Amino acid sequence: MPISVSRRTLLHGTAAAGAFASLSRFLRNEARAADAAKLSVFAPLPPDPAPPGAAKFSEEAFARWKAANGAEVEYELLAWPQLHDRMATAFASGSAPWDIVYMSGWVPELQSNIIPYADALPKALVDDLPKSSFSTVTVDGKRYGAIFTLSLLTLFYNKALLAKAGFKSPPKDWNELKRFAKELTHDGQYGFVLNYGDPAGIGGTASYWMTYLQQAGGKMYGEDGLPVFKGDAGVDALQLMVDLMPFTDPGSISYAGINDASNVLLAGRAAMMMNWPFMWTAATDPKQSKIVGDVASAVLPAGPAGSASIDGTDAWTVTKSSKNPDKASALIEFYLDAEVQKRQVLDTGWLPIRLSVLADPEVQAKAPNAAVVLEQAKHPYDSFVTPDYTEVTVAVGTEVQKALQGQKTAAQAIADAQDQVTSIVKRRKKAPNQ
Amino acid sequence: MTANATFEQRRRRVGLLFVLPALLVLAVVLGYPIVDSVALALQQVSLRSGVVQQSWVGLDNFRRLFADTTFQRAALNTAYFSSAEVVLVTVISLSIAILLNHPIGRFGIFRILLIVPWAIAPVANAVLWKWILHSNYGVLNGVLKALGVIDVYHVWLGTPASALNFLLLVDVWKSVPFVALLMLAGLQRVPNSLYRAAYMDGAGPWQSFLHVTLPTIRSVIAIAVVLQTIWSLRVFDIVFVLTRGGPADATVLLNFLAYRVTFNFLDLGYGSAIANVVFVLTVILAIVYVRLLWPRERRAG
Repeated sequence: MPISVSRRTLLHGTAAAGAFASLSRFLRNEARAADAAKLSVFAPLPPDPAPPGAAKFSEEAFARWKAANGAEVEYELLAWPQLHDRMATAFASGSAPWDIVYMSGWVPELQSNIIPYADALPKALVDDLPKSSFSTVTVDGKRYGAIFTLSLLTLFYNKALLAKAGFKSPPKDWNELKRFAKELTHDGQYGFVLNYGDPAGIGGTASYWMTYLQQAGGKMYGEDGLPVFKGDAGVDALQLMVDLMPFTDPGSISYAGINDASNVLLAGRAAMMMNWPFMWTAATDPKQSKIVGDVASAVLPAGPAGSASIDGTDAWTVTKSSKNPDKASALIEFYLDAEVQKRQVLDTGWLPIRLSVLADPEVQAKAPNAAVVLEQAKHPYDSFVTPDYTEVTVAVGTEVQKALQGQKTAAQAIADAQDQVTSIVKRRKKAPNQ
Repeated sequence: MTANATFEQRRRRVGLLFVLPALLVLAVVLGYPIVDSVALALQQVSLRSGVVQQSWVGLDNFRRLFADTTFQRAALNTAYFSSAEVVLVTVISLSIAILLNHPIGRFGIFRILLIVPWAIAPVANAVLWKWILHSNYGVLNGVLKALGVIDVYHVWLGTPASALNFLLLVDVWKSVPFVALLMLAGLQRVPNSLYRAAYMDGAGPWQSFLHVTLPTIRSVIAIAVVLQTIWSLRVFDIVFVLTRGGPADATVLLNFLAYRVTFNFLDLGYGSAIANVVFVLTVILAIVYVRLLWPRERRAG
C-alpha cells in the first residue's frame, strides 16, 4: 500500500518530534538537577568578604568545582550590618535555609545551630592555617568554623601628610600617636579618623576600645567569666581615645560603618586610622582614593604592654540543618583552596588565611600590607567573643561613646560598663539550660 | 436554629456566619501574635540551645523595665519625640492646608509636590536624609556654608540633642503631607455661609479662623493628633538608618529598643515586654481614635 505524505502530516510529525526532543531534554535536566546537591550559602555582600561567585574572583574555578561535584550553589547576600539579625532570627524560628553561613564573632552565640565540621578538615589544610585563627571559632574544644581571611586591625596612614609634618615613620607608641595626631590636625585636616557611631560588634566602638585595652595589658574577662576590665588598663585605653578626640575627625562619632571613616582618609582629609586589610585595595584604586601612592600600613602603636589588635574572625560554618554537610564542607575547602585564596587577595583585596599563600611573592607584591598584618599577628589579637558579645559590645560601646562626648570621665564610663557587663553575664548564666 | 426564632434573630445568625471567616483570619494574623507576645513577655526566652528555651518568670521582665536606665532613656526620648512631633506636624500641616485652601494654592501642582515626601519609601527617605546630613559631603552643610551661615561643617548627628532633633525633623518632613491633606479635606468642608455670617458680624480673618475654622475642623485635628501620636510611637526606620540609636543611646526610641533587645540581644522575653509597653500605649490611643470617629448619634444613644 503506497504511503502518501502530505505537507500537513510532515508538519505534524516534525512538531511532534520537536516536542518529544524538548520534553526528553527537559526531563533529563530535571533528573540531573534532582541529582545535584543544592547548597545554600549565606554571606555578606561585597565589598565585605564574599565568596567566589558572589564577589568577582575565581569564577571559572568555581564553575568547575560545581560541575565536578555535581552541586548547585545559591547565595543569599546581605549587607554586613544585617547579617547577624537575619541569621539569629532564622535560627530562632527553626527556618534557617542555609548549608553554609558566614560568621564574624558569633560562633559562641550561635554554636548550637552549627556543626564542628572543621575538626575534620584535611591535615594539610589545617597545617597551612595559623593555629590562632581557630581561637574564635572553637567552643568546648570543638572547631565550628574556618577563618578564610587574615583580618586584623592595623594602622593605615598617609605618608605624604606625615612627611609634610616632618614625621619620617608612623607612630610607634601611644605618646607618638597623640603627638602625631595633634600635629597633623589643622585647616580642616584631622590627625585621626574612625567610626564610633555604632557601638556593637567587631568593628564597632567597643571593639576599638578592646584593641587599646590589650595594648594597655588588660583583658575583658577573668577565669570565672566575669568582667575584669575596670582597672588601670581599661581606663587608660579609654583615656587614650578621649585624648585623641580633639584631633579626630568630629564626624567619627556619627560614622556607623568603617567605609564612612575610610572615605575621609582616602580623600586626604585625615592622616591616620585603624582599619582592616581590605582597605589596601581601595586605597590604591584611583577610582576610590585620592591618596594613591601615599598610603602605607604599619603595626598598631604600642601601649604600655606593647602592640595588640583584634581579629575580624570572618569564618565559614556549616549549619546543623544542612542536608549536605559533607558537600558543604567540601565547598568550604574549595573556598580555602590555595589558588582561590590567592585570587581572593589579588582580585578583592581580602588577605588569604593560608600561610603558604601569604608568603607568595606575587601576593606580597600586590598586597604589601600582608607582611604588616603577619607582623601584627605576632602580638595579641583577642576579640573577646562570648555568647552575649553583641549585648556586651552595645553596653561597653555606649559607655565609650559617652566618655568620647565628655558626658562621663573615662573612669566613670569604664566602671559603669563593667557593672552592665557583669549583669549581662550573670543573667546569661541564670538563663534556661545555661 | 430554632423554628420559632424571629426574623431579626435569624438575620443576626446568618450575619455572624458571614463574618466568621474574617474573624478567624483576624484571630490568626492579629490575635495570635498579640497573645503570644504577651506570653513571651512573661517568660525568659533563650535561643542558645538550638531550640527556643522558655521559662515562666511572671512579671520579672516588666519589673526589669523600672531598673533599666536604657529603657528609661528610651521612654524619655520617645515622650519628647512624640510630643514635639505631634505639635510640629499639626501646626505645620494646618498652615499648609490653609495655604492650599486659598484660591492661589488650589493648583494641582502644589498638592503633587506636597505628597512627594509621604510617597517616598521610609528607608529610602532615611537614606536620603543620611546624605543630606552627612558631616563631610552633606547638602545641608554645603548650602549653609555657601550662604555664610556656618564657617565649618557641622556633625548634625554627632551630639545627643542635635541628633534627636534632626531625627524629629526628618520624621516631621515625612509626616506633614498626609496630615496636611487630611486637614485640607476638613477645611473644604467648612461651609462658606459660616464665613459670610462671621464677616457680617464684623469678624476679621484671625477671628474667623479662631471662631469658625478651628471649631469646625476640631474633630479632624483631633484625629490627626491621635494618628500622628500612634505613628510617632512606631518610628523605627530613621533611627536604624541614621543613628542606630547613637550617639550614646541619645536617639534610642522605645520601638528601636524593642528591636535591639529582641533581635540583636536575642532576649525575646524582655524585648516583648518593651514591645508590649508600646502596644498598650498604641491601644489607648486607638481607643481614643475610635471614639472620635464614632458617629455622634450612636455615642448619644
